[in-house]
Amino acid sequence: MKMKRQGHPVKGRPVYWVIACLLTALLPQLAAMPAHLALLTLAPLAWRLLAEMRGWKPMYPLLRLAVTVAAMVVLFSTYGNPFGRRTAVSLLALMLSLKLLEMFKIRDARLVASLALFLAATQFLFAQGLGMLAYGVAVMATALVSLTLLARAQAFGAAQSPAPIGAGARRELGYSLRLVAIALPAALALFMFFPRWSSPMWGVPEESLDARSGLSGEMTPGSIQSLFMDDTPAFRVEFSSPVPSQQDLYWRGPVFWNFDGRSWEGSYYGRNIAARARPRPDDASLYYTVLMEPTEQHWMFALDYPAVTPPDSRLTLDYQLMSRKPVTRLRQYEMMSDPDFTDSPTLSATLRDQALRLPDGFNPRTRELMAEWRASAATDAELVRRALAHFNTEPFRYTLNPALLTRHSVDEFLFDTREGFCEHYASAFTVMMRMLDIPARVVTGYQGGWYNEFGDYLLVRQSDAHAWSEVWLPGAGWTRVDPTAAVAPSRIERNAMDALDGRRHAFDFAWVRQVRNGVDWLGRSWNDWVIAFDAARQSRLLSAFGIDNLDARALVVLLALGLSVAAAFIVPVLLRRAPGRRGDPLARSWRRFRRRLTGAGVNLQPSMGPMEVAAAAAGVLPAQANEVHDIAAHYRRLRYAENGGRLDAFTRAVRGFRVNRPKGEHQ
Amino acid sequence: MSSTEATESPIKATTAETRLLEAIETVNGVLLGKASQVRLAFSCLLARGHLLIEDLPGVGKTTLAHALATVLGAHYQRIQFTSDLMPADILGVSIYRRDQERFEFHPGPIFADLVLADEVNRATPKTQSALLEAMAEGQVTVEGETHALPDPFFVIATQNPLDLVGTFPLPDSQLDRFLLSVRLGFPDPAVERDLLVAENRAALLARTPAVLSMEDVAQLQAQCAKVHAGEALLDYVQALLAETRNDRWFESGLSPRAGIALLQCGRAHAFLDGRDFVAPEDIKAVFPALTRHRMTVPSGMDATVEDQAAALLERVAIP
Repeated sequence: MKMKRQGHPVKGRPVYWVIACLLTALLPQLAAMPAHLALLTLAPLAWRLLAEMRGWKPMYPLLRLAVTVAAMVVLFSTYGNPFGRRTAVSLLALMLSLKLLEMFKIRDARLVASLALFLAATQFLFAQGLGMLAYGVAVMATALVSLTLLARAQAFGAAQSPAPIGAGARRELGYSLRLVAIALPAALALFMFFPRWSSPMWGVPEESLDARSGLSGEMTPGSIQSLFMDDTPAFRVEFSSPVPSQQDLYWRGPVFWNFDGRSWEGSYYGRNIAARARPRPDDASLYYTVLMEPTEQHWMFALDYPAVTPPDSRLTLDYQLMSRKPVTRLRQYEMMSDPDFTDSPTLSATLRDQALRLPDGFNPRTRELMAEWRASAATDAELVRRALAHFNTEPFRYTLNPALLTRHSVDEFLFDTREGFCEHYASAFTVMMRMLDIPARVVTGYQGGWYNEFGDYLLVRQSDAHAWSEVWLPGAGWTRVDPTAAVAPSRIERNAMDALDGRRHAFDFAWVRQVRNGVDWLGRSWNDWVIAFDAARQSRLLSAFGIDNLDARALVVLLALGLSVAAAFIVPVLLRRAPGRRGDPLARSWRRFRRRLTGAGVNLQPSMGPMEVAAAAAGVLPAQANEVHDIAAHYRRLRYAENGGRLDAFTRAVRGFRVNRPKGEHQ
Repeated sequence: MSSTEATESPIKATTAETRLLEAIETVNGVLLGKASQVRLAFSCLLARGHLLIEDLPGVGKTTLAHALATVLGAHYQRIQFTSDLMPADILGVSIYRRDQERFEFHPGPIFADLVLADEVNRATPKTQSALLEAMAEGQVTVEGETHALPDPFFVIATQNPLDLVGTFPLPDSQLDRFLLSVRLGFPDPAVERDLLVAENRAALLARTPAVLSMEDVAQLQAQCAKVHAGEALLDYVQALLAETRNDRWFESGLSPRAGIALLQCGRAHAFLDGRDFVAPEDIKAVFPALTRHRMTVPSGMDATVEDQAAALLERVAIP
């Protein structure tokens, strides 16, 4: 019986809605798939859409099987790892899309709409930003509309009468959003009280996420350049001490020691040896909290020099703050820094050797020039100043689109092209220092940040990526020198985008950036309150209500309590909505008509028959007496006569009925 | 008799339904301003029931009965009930015919298509029950011999509610034999004014032609019984019946037989409206007339049965 009922064919609006729902659910997945797979996933949707519009027959089953097998082959040959998360989700997306080829029954359509919700849930494995919230709501709304329409089609199908035209997309969407809103209290209760672990419940395999942009463990020509176009947040910082001035905001990231003539790499010592000395927390003068976006890397960012190490992290010899596991999800840590700390008053022979090493056979012209300088200068500090002055006085130019450099990159940069950005200047300067026998290294990280007045925090974006140098001077230890500042001081005083002439892209207006910062503040609040809502935050929130000592049992009790409170909101709403005669579209339509008349000021009683209703309405709305009479007579036939005619004509008439108020009447 | 044929042929050309409407119009033309009562009277007739009219003398009880009899083309008898009226005066007697050496039955005035029993409450209970049994059975048994009454057979009885001296009010069980009871009431001022100068009703009636025949009535009654009563309507009728049994309204509720009668009347009322199904409005229209003579208001309550019936109808929601 049940099977038979669900076996009704599905046509028209419900099909379009199911397709729209699936398309919405697929969006992030499509963006993450290779183009040919995305097209393959979209093809069945297009086929089903055309089939509906042109009235095509279902595909021949063997052909369908062949298409499915072919799609699987393409999928598994595209993704090498058959057990990867992206592979699994892509498989789900593709199979769900292929399901449309056989979606000609209400049962199948319902399955697709429900699984679209599941597909949407899997997308949260990859991203949890504010955009995903909108995505989730969109999928839920369209799925609910689809399911509602399917239930309706089934009810009318069982009654052997064609379903009337729907109430219109806007009304349907509004209805489903209302359903979402009704469920909100329960969702809130679950969010706040569901027992949380300090790590995510699903095991996130390390380094299996999609590649993300950010600083990496190697500096090759152009590696930072790609970041300048990327306005996505890298991390956000909330200061509890005064915010330092822009030119002091050097967020230390990967430190590079080894140069092979082309690219820079970190050293074994720098990576693996712990810092020998570190500032005492008492000396720290900067206090701040960093909320870091996932990077898939180990580096965490801090101002010089970190006085504490957050849990699960360590401080290396060259003061890189490294997480023990890659940062695969939003990470928040509190930091203290002492900018006056002296890094390595003495330098061991091994490290000195490492900080002076250069490959042979590169950059002969620079070597020549440096030998000249060395001969004429007395102290290392003087040489550093001279090099900076060289950048400043010679016609060097700051640009994001420099000419390409070949084998003798430093020579060509210093004597021929004389244009580049931080990467070129830091690299060239460090090489120059090493030729002058001054220990030097390249430091990458972020410089500056945008102060957001809305939220009182500093936003550091990928486009704030920067590279600078450090030289070891006797007595002063490792000292930061930023050769870019000598060429383009504005890059340091303001930030990267202002340092350039002209805009980076067509939409780079001030107000656009303003809007983006507002949006960023929203995103940050989302991160702060929702994504980063972990066990610690949960207990902090609850302790505000005097609930300390949170164990699992207490949480379960709280959860039950929260759900009961939510139910107290939901149940009355649902009861109010429960119609007296369930599944009777005629009675519902008639009730709607009566409600509309009552709204127009007609005094109606439950004991009034259809024609009495019409008579009462005629008194209030004389201009529409005929229309009301026709509707009432139609209802009377449908309800009481043996064969009353078509229901859809009646529901349509009721839907089309509008009370026309006479002019001049208020209300 | 060519003129008679000329008047008859258009009548025959129309259907029974249209002639029925014409008959109602004709009665309305005689009994001015009483359309709803006339309609109830026709409903009662088509539902094979008998009608009770409770009202003062001179408001048109006889005129209504006479007009009905005329338009129906019925054989009409009037029986004035008095305290010395005997059952035989109604039913008839068997008289021994010496020449034929056997008893011969002389039918009483009840052997007519339509009987007006005037002031039925003035006769003795014995006489009353003779009439009422005849009404219920559709036949008369005199001295062991059963004589069938005509079919259709229609009784209109009148009662004078005020003049209670020397009367024998009908017991409740007997009143149940009447399907509906109506009050004619005084005419509207405008209608009454017209009446003052209008032609004598008796003279008017004498000119009034027969519109229907008793065959037509039998056919219409058969059609009436086929009027559809849907599930929703049955729900409503049942809800009404259940509500009458709530002792806030009446001393006792409607019986199931009264319920069947209610539905029959509803069917006839709908049929008069030209519909092939019963609507709640039909039930509501006949309900007061159906309850008026069957119900009594609980003692100590200052309301009439009509008031109570109207209030009850307000209370029951229509599905």
